[in-house]
Amino acid sequence: MRPLAGRVLAATALAALLVGCGGGGGNSAGHLASTPSSSAPPPSSAPPPAKSVAAVGRSVPVGLRIPAIGVDTPVLRLGLAADGTAQVPPVQAHDRAGWYRHSPTPGQKGPSVILGHVTVGAYGDGVFRHLKDLRRGERIEVRLENGTDALFAVTDVRTVAKADFPTKEVYGDVGRPELRLITCGGARTGDGYRDNVIVFAALTSARR
Amino acid sequence: MRRTGLSALALACTAVLAGAMPAFADGASRTPSPVPSSARPTERPAPSTAPSTVPSTGDRRASAEPTRAPSRGQVSVVPSGAPNTGVADTSSGSGGALIGGGTAAAVVVGGAVLLVRRRRAHGA
Repeated sequence: MRPLAGRVLAATALAALLVGCGGGGGNSAGHLASTPSSSAPPPSSAPPPAKSVAAVGRSVPVGLRIPAIGVDTPVLRLGLAADGTAQVPPVQAHDRAGWYRHSPTPGQKGPSVILGHVTVGAYGDGVFRHLKDLRRGERIEVRLENGTDALFAVTDVRTVAKADFPTKEVYGDVGRPELRLITCGGARTGDGYRDNVIVFAALTSARR
Repeated sequence: MRRTGLSALALACTAVLAGAMPAFADGASRTPSPVPSSARPTERPAPSTAPSTVPSTGDRRASAEPTRAPSRGQVSVVPSGAPNTGVADTSSGSGGALIGGGTAAAVVVGGAVLLVRRRRAHGA
């Protein structure tokens, strides 16, 4: 009786310890780590964006909708951070996206850049939590201050190591109106992430 | 009696270890928060609420903008490096706390039952 009871207690304690130690492995970091470091999404059935679409006049973005991943957010204006990197939206509840104001406005010729958090610390998911799930051809709508909606279609979704951030591909000149959506992704490193998720999109049309 | 004391000590240690709950990072064990949608799809932000200023609340990265020479490209000022667009939650998730607390409680209850049985056996 006594040895049996001791064994039961030991087994219970061991099981408790194993549960406690093993819990950390099943988090979202593991899920994110499974994302390929450089992924090209499978082609979707959606039509590719038109090759030549007339550019939209300059007007700052005030809203962003991405129906495929449930994003509908106001858009802030962002500049440069003190360390020379692109400024990011403040870490707070009800996270919002931000337009990098030194880039063209969405719909103008060139790469317009919009940034958003994947997670905002204790507040949970960021506005771009599911950005990596976008697929080629899916629609992005940018509401401009002048009442125009600039409509884009995703052309590529890439996850790249921050150490190898493709500055030229993101901020370099292009021959048509394009859009870049940027957030973080990949494995966690301390209180941040190892990679960036970058969505490339091209203007398909505009509507008022 | 000495054996009972040692058993109690071992039980206490086990309970403390089990109580050191796992650090569940985020996401999987927590109820996902809704996608921010302060504006409905059909609504347009009113001009007065349209974000027109550089945010400066709560984030030191959003405080000061250094002077950089403008380029001749379509992006007039090219940032350096990669943006830090993700702040991970370093606190334990509520799911982890629940599991850790539950296992610790189970160990404590099991140990208490064992001690009572042993005392009865000694007394008999």
